[in-house]
Amino acid sequence: MARLKSSLLIRLSLLLLILLPAAGRAEESYTFDLSEIEKKPYHFGAYVEARPIAFLLDEDAALYKLQYYADDPGSAVEELNGRVQLEGSYKKGKGRLYLKTNTDLVYSTFSYGDENTAIYEGHATYNFSDSLKIQIGKRNLKWGKGYAWNPVNFFDRVKDPDDPDQSLEGNIIASMDYIRSFDGPLKTVSFTPVLFPVYDHINKEFGIKDRLNLGAKIYLLLYDTDLDLIYAADGSRTARVGFDFSRNITTSFEIHGEIAQIRNHTRQTLDAAGAVRTDTSDEISGLVGIRHLTAFDLTTIIEYYHNGTGMDVDAMENYFGYIKRGFDVYRSTGNAAMIGTAQKLASSGYGRSNPMEDYLYIKLSQKEPLDILYFTPSVAAIINTNDGSLNVTPELLYTGIKNLELRLRAGFIRGGNGTEFGEKAADYRFELRAGYYF
Amino acid sequence: MLRVIIVFLSLLVAAPVFALDGDALLKQVDRNLNPESYELYRKLINVEPNGSKKEFTMFSVKKGADKVAALFLAPASEKGRSTLRLGENMWLYIPNVGKPIRITSLQSVVGGVFNNSDILSLDYATEYNVAKIEDAGKEHLLFLKAKNNNVAYDQLKMWVDKAKTIPIKIECLTGANMLIKTLYFKDIKDFGGGIVRPSVTETDSPLFKGYKSVMLYAGIKKRTFKDEVFTLTFMPNLDSLR
Repeated sequence: MARLKSSLLIRLSLLLLILLPAAGRAEESYTFDLSEIEKKPYHFGAYVEARPIAFLLDEDAALYKLQYYADDPGSAVEELNGRVQLEGSYKKGKGRLYLKTNTDLVYSTFSYGDENTAIYEGHATYNFSDSLKIQIGKRNLKWGKGYAWNPVNFFDRVKDPDDPDQSLEGNIIASMDYIRSFDGPLKTVSFTPVLFPVYDHINKEFGIKDRLNLGAKIYLLLYDTDLDLIYAADGSRTARVGFDFSRNITTSFEIHGEIAQIRNHTRQTLDAAGAVRTDTSDEISGLVGIRHLTAFDLTTIIEYYHNGTGMDVDAMENYFGYIKRGFDVYRSTGNAAMIGTAQKLASSGYGRSNPMEDYLYIKLSQKEPLDILYFTPSVAAIINTNDGSLNVTPELLYTGIKNLELRLRAGFIRGGNGTEFGEKAADYRFELRAGYYF
Repeated sequence: MLRVIIVFLSLLVAAPVFALDGDALLKQVDRNLNPESYELYRKLINVEPNGSKKEFTMFSVKKGADKVAALFLAPASEKGRSTLRLGENMWLYIPNVGKPIRITSLQSVVGGVFNNSDILSLDYATEYNVAKIEDAGKEHLLFLKAKNNNVAYDQLKMWVDKAKTIPIKIECLTGANMLIKTLYFKDIKDFGGGIVRPSVTETDSPLFKGYKSVMLYAGIKKRTFKDEVFTLTFMPNLDSLR
């Protein structure tokens, strides 16, 4: 009997243990403390990231030979990347100061704690009114509507289409925003003129020095369509004009596009004999894309990009062939002159992240499949339609822990001999990215 | 004769319901929930079946029938993000990405049961017509039909407290009468300035079994804004309104 009572007691206790938290949840009250929304004149924030990466290398690829001609990393390289971003702001009256720094740290077979710190953004803003503000300092303009590429983004650094959401270092600029709103089909007009100086210590990587470059953007919201007209005057770079648009065809289907004319563009290419040719011409670059969301939360982004300033198949094959010949010369004689020439050409166009003419970008991302909250698997592909090579990036993203972002990514970088992705230094890439916001 | 009398008496009893102007009632519900132009703070809590929570704090502004914007204040990973709605157009601005991108009403920038149209909600009368009203004891039951295909939910069933003219429960349905989610309005509170409304909205959905999302309201104030505040160019600047 005593044993029966004891067993019953244990069962009742277990039942209570199970039921009590449920009861607690059922009567849970939520609080919203006003101190949580109190506005302070200053703000500090930080982002810390750890990113181990493993590259499986292609020892026959041209860009492997260009990058590692004097080393012998073998068939794999591991990297441990660290990143710290600090930001702060101070607001007083109609003025605001903002600063964001970025520090990258790399440990790998060839780097033992290489550190690079830069001010990514640092600018002052003054709001004369809700319609007019000026900004002076270092920042990005981020013009254009494309997700992977922005041919009309004439002033910023070029983003990596393999990781388009990464923040980039800005440039020192002065700009103004003037906004007007209306009733009727034309709802908004805004005008953004820009001054972009290029001198010895200011934006020196942009182009020809000792120029004060001028640019402007006019934005219209017309018939529920975003439209931008963009202009950059001749200066450190040649003159260029651009136009972009974005519109929802239905609530779940968006189309966008960009077109840019680049005047007097100078291109350096290699011919089959290895001689450098320079030609100048007006070029057109453009992009069309869609973004679609299904009822079950699958987002599809598809973009086609024509890079008018890019290289054709022959020019790229000549370049890769030149590197391989240069590598053989270096191995047999120790003379690295051809490798040096190839490295210089990389900085003049061949080394851009997508240096050729035509690309297709496809990204599929499924939000919260199987009811797993904050979990988003996705796969993105960049396909070079000129040579058929491609880079496929599957990713698993989890954001369920407060302020923590966890990404597991891979890269399958595939293509034949003489193709863009086939000649990349790595065939496969595996990456974990853990980022924490403070 | 008896039948005629019964029918006549029934009509007399039913008359008050039929006499109700549904659209006027819906407009009154809208005004009792919020002033036409206002600022407010919201805390949004997603609760998972295991009890774990994720919270977001937002500052929102609205003007007139079709302009609304929201700025994320917390958590740190979302701080600075803002969303804008102009009628059927919606955009999301992420500081890192830097430019506003178009989003859709059925997406959710916060995950969980609330979607973008719940977060950037307009007046109900802006998006819905009253198709029918039924008497449900202490409540009016309003059957709302979307004015066009761009509205997030094709139909709503709204239970409105007769005495306070405030919604108590709303069922969001597809055109085929499939339940997408249910919103529950709770804890009526005096926010000052004549604004007395529910301070908590809870939602659950048969599509997210076991999940729940809660929205808490604070600091609701009548306030007017220039139209220029509700533009893409102003999105990075929303914090200057606080």
